[in-house]
Amino acid sequence: MTSAVTIPRHGGTGARTAVAARARQVVKAYGAGETRVVALDHVDVDILRGQFTAIMGPSGSGKSTLMHCLAGLDTVTSGQIFLDDTEITKLKDKKLTQLRRDRVGFIFQAFNLLPTLNAIENITLPMDIAGRKPDREWLERVVDTVGLAGRLKHRPSQLSGGQQQRVAVARALAARPEIIFGDEPTGNLDSRAGAEVLGFLRRSVDELGQTIVMVTHDPVAASYADRVLYLADGRIVDEMHAPTAEQVLDRMKDFDARGRTA
Amino acid sequence: MTVLKTSLRNVLAHKGRMVLSAIAVLLSVAFVCGTLVFTDTMNTTFDKLFQATSSDVTVSAKGASDSGETTSGTGKPPVMPASVLNRVRHADGVKSAEGTVFSTSVTVVDADRHNLSPSSGAPTIVGSWNGNDARTMKITSGRAPKGPDQVMVDADTAAKHHLRLGDRIGVISAVGTHTAKISGIASFTVTNPGAAVFYLDTETAQRTLVGQRGVYTNVNVTAATGVSDAQLKKNVVAEIGRGYKVQTAKETADANQKDVKSFMNVMKYGMLGFAGIAFLVGIFLIINTFSMLVAQRTREIGLLRAIGSTRRQVNRSVLAEALLLGAFGSVLGVGAGVGIAVGLMKLMGKMGMHLSTDDLTIAWTTPVAGVLLGVVVTVLAAYLPARRAGRVSPMAALRDAHAPADARAGRVRALLGLLLTGAGGCTLYVAASANKAAAGSLWLGLGVVLTLIGFVMVGPLLAGGVVRVLGALLLRVFGPVGRMAERNALRNPRRTGATGAALMIGLALVACLSVVGSSMVASAGDQLDKTVGTDFIVQNDGGQPIVPQAVKAVKATPGLQRVTEYKVLDATLTTPDGRTTRNETINAADPTYAQDLRTKTVAGTLADAYRPGSMSVFEGFAKKHGIKVGSTVAVDFRDGGTAELTVRAITSDDTAIDKGAMYASIATAARYVPADRMPLDQLLFATARDGQEKTAYKALKSALRDYPQYTVRDQTDYKKALKDQIGQLLNMIYGLLALAIIVAILGVVNTLALSVVERTREIGLMRAIGLSRRQLRRMIRLESVVIALFGALLGLGLGMGWGATAQKLLALEGLNILDIPWSTIITVFVGAAFVGLAAALIPAFRAGRMNVLNAIATE
Repeated sequence: MTSAVTIPRHGGTGARTAVAARARQVVKAYGAGETRVVALDHVDVDILRGQFTAIMGPSGSGKSTLMHCLAGLDTVTSGQIFLDDTEITKLKDKKLTQLRRDRVGFIFQAFNLLPTLNAIENITLPMDIAGRKPDREWLERVVDTVGLAGRLKHRPSQLSGGQQQRVAVARALAARPEIIFGDEPTGNLDSRAGAEVLGFLRRSVDELGQTIVMVTHDPVAASYADRVLYLADGRIVDEMHAPTAEQVLDRMKDFDARGRTA
Repeated sequence: MTVLKTSLRNVLAHKGRMVLSAIAVLLSVAFVCGTLVFTDTMNTTFDKLFQATSSDVTVSAKGASDSGETTSGTGKPPVMPASVLNRVRHADGVKSAEGTVFSTSVTVVDADRHNLSPSSGAPTIVGSWNGNDARTMKITSGRAPKGPDQVMVDADTAAKHHLRLGDRIGVISAVGTHTAKISGIASFTVTNPGAAVFYLDTETAQRTLVGQRGVYTNVNVTAATGVSDAQLKKNVVAEIGRGYKVQTAKETADANQKDVKSFMNVMKYGMLGFAGIAFLVGIFLIINTFSMLVAQRTREIGLLRAIGSTRRQVNRSVLAEALLLGAFGSVLGVGAGVGIAVGLMKLMGKMGMHLSTDDLTIAWTTPVAGVLLGVVVTVLAAYLPARRAGRVSPMAALRDAHAPADARAGRVRALLGLLLTGAGGCTLYVAASANKAAAGSLWLGLGVVLTLIGFVMVGPLLAGGVVRVLGALLLRVFGPVGRMAERNALRNPRRTGATGAALMIGLALVACLSVVGSSMVASAGDQLDKTVGTDFIVQNDGGQPIVPQAVKAVKATPGLQRVTEYKVLDATLTTPDGRTTRNETINAADPTYAQDLRTKTVAGTLADAYRPGSMSVFEGFAKKHGIKVGSTVAVDFRDGGTAELTVRAITSDDTAIDKGAMYASIATAARYVPADRMPLDQLLFATARDGQEKTAYKALKSALRDYPQYTVRDQTDYKKALKDQIGQLLNMIYGLLALAIIVAILGVVNTLALSVVERTREIGLMRAIGLSRRQLRRMIRLESVVIALFGALLGLGLGMGWGATAQKLLALEGLNILDIPWSTIITVFVGAAFVGLAAALIPAFRAGRMNVLNAIATE
């Protein structure tokens, strides 16, 4: 299995395609000649709207690279990436920055917040940068959802790791981006705080209709997703729908074993 | 050894971050070395010149000054009769002797009456062409002057003024104006730094410069083989007696050199002072650099501590880095210093002072002093950050964040700073209300130092407030980008404080001097308006006296109501308290001077001081010596007899013009000083008939056309000249302060550049979530502008405070009006904003170019 392409189908609202982002024959290579390393090897992938997608794979499998390319943080060597109908592989830095600002949300593993800004300022930062007024009602709902109402004036250094990540989630949600990318968003958290954050992500998909793509190597985290894509050696090797943690773990073990025997 | 090795590796690993610190050290050291090399080279040049031009033994008239300068107030050089030459020739060991005549109180003009004298302050010398000069000069075209109609000119002057053989030039001396045709052009075989030299034949020189034949100013004596200069001197003295000044070549050169050396020393220490300010500013830059390097390496240092490095080892490794940085910067600085010296020599060349790079003198002490200074200052500056590095706990290796700032130390520091500032403020207040200038200036100095240190220490505290206010006023316009810039500037107040403080120092001095300068102009203008009752002043801007033919020309000008002559006579005063004061001067003027300058008196009437046998003294002198109106003062004129003069007036010291002058009439002085020794007029004051001011001014200007060395100014032009003069002086000082300001700007660049490195991940995050490059660059620029404005605000505030205090203090010396030059102050403030923009150029560019992914990935 080298692709994770679903037949495009139209969602209930009809106006937008049911695919939020897609990659076609994406190659990402570093270096040249003998030292050439292929991080992504002709990858095709569709990210479905309103779904929570997890990307898994061993270290060096290219999962983070795939996410960075989908998010417009990294350039591709060849191939095309579309966000909705926009081909982002064609965009120059300025347009790409605008696209990230207006249409994409990010949650990183660590260092998600600006230490000089308080929680609410961090949450509204992308909109402030864009010069847009945040939607008050929506903002309140998001803040309530992530349970930060009492801590909005706190600086990041006054918040726990879990709270910081929740602020990051709120920031990603607040601007109502078409898609949110998470790069191991719970990687730095203990299991309880991690579960909390994942719970919010899940709820934002279920209740707010958000599209989320998350890179993780934690089977428990992946079990919150609707769909798990497995990457190995720069290729999509498998996918799983509505997984449980056990299923994911088994599959991972399976890959590990195959990897060792191969 | 390991310490040095790790330090070396660290320096190399972070060389990019240390570049600006190294440049700051380099600049300061270069300025020091450049100054030393330049002044040493000047000294060498003059040394060679004077040695080459001194004959074995020189005999000159008694009145000649030590350095062989032949001017006296009379405008004619002191001379001796030709018989002296014959007697010298009879002395033992004399191979040959030659009588010469030369004078430096002359002006030489070309056919169009343009002044040929150097504008650099170097002398104009007119003398008789003689064997001694022939040794150091080569006639390159034409021939030596012969007869009254010929003159030879040095090649540099000829080239500068496009003089050719056959051109007519005029020599204006106290005797009269003599014109002659250029018969030859001669060039120096040694470096002549800039004097304009003209030669006549001996007889013409005697007639033109002294107005008398058969006299000499000097006799140049050459020793017979085997006779030492000292022996020859003895023999000559034995032959002609002690009535003359006899000097060996070495004594002549040394005496000449003494004037040059003392001038060079003033210049040297002045410039070193400015280098010191640059060093002071550089210290802030170095402290910031090392503080940031230590902060960025907190985890690394924690690890070192965790695996067993002692505090001292960590401490020493940072100091060793400073040592390497200092040594590197200083060595380059020494090299750059030589470059600066050569540059200065070229600049002097442009200004008419010729120096040759062959004479470039680098004493071994120069590089040693430069490197030592650079290294010591760098290591001292790094001491505090090094100590802080030593205090990093091993736990820091495990913690994620940078070590939190020591809040208690910050409070103690702020408190101490406030105390010092307060003490400094009080000291300044005491200085401002002092009633003795000398004591007041001590207080002023102390107050300046205290407030400066205080401000530097309170800097971080002030940074909080000032940046917030600036942010509210300026940055809000820029929305969230402005807000982030403000927060970034506030993030580390100590760093912002130190960066601003560096800029503050230079700008405080600029503000202080500009306040004092413009108060000087305003006060003098006010004094002129209040006390001056004459229309025009005639003077030579170099202080040369006015030749009689020019005085005559002025007096013959139509439309004038009166002309007042004004002379300065050297005298020794013996006062009623029995004390004798040497080296005083009596200002002898026509009685009309009492109308021309209405100096206030505290006792008596000024006009009475001009009555025969009368004089005035100034308030301070009267107090010191218990003089009252009616007291008698014995005035022993240097060029004449002793007069017993009655004090008829005591002038107020509350004046800026002629402060400390003691007046008598020229007629009174003339009774004791013979006419041939009476000094020429120093100044002339002319007053137009009512309503004829304009035409009289024009007429005066045309009357003086033949004497381009003198300038006539009415009150408006005089004020303007005064303003220009002070402006020029200020510009020169600003120019020298520019070095310190440049180092401070480097400091702003440094802080921003290091901050950008430090905030790599933050910048990556912001770029990822949609901050455009332009917004990012603007954010950094705004932060820079805020830091620069913070420094400017502090500096200008502090400087204006100093300036106002200085003015209050100098009010005792007649600086009555405080004039704050708002246009300058505002220009500097606005300029600081642009400086901030410029300083952010490279850091902002680099931040913009940062790869988003790498920035996020940086661990």
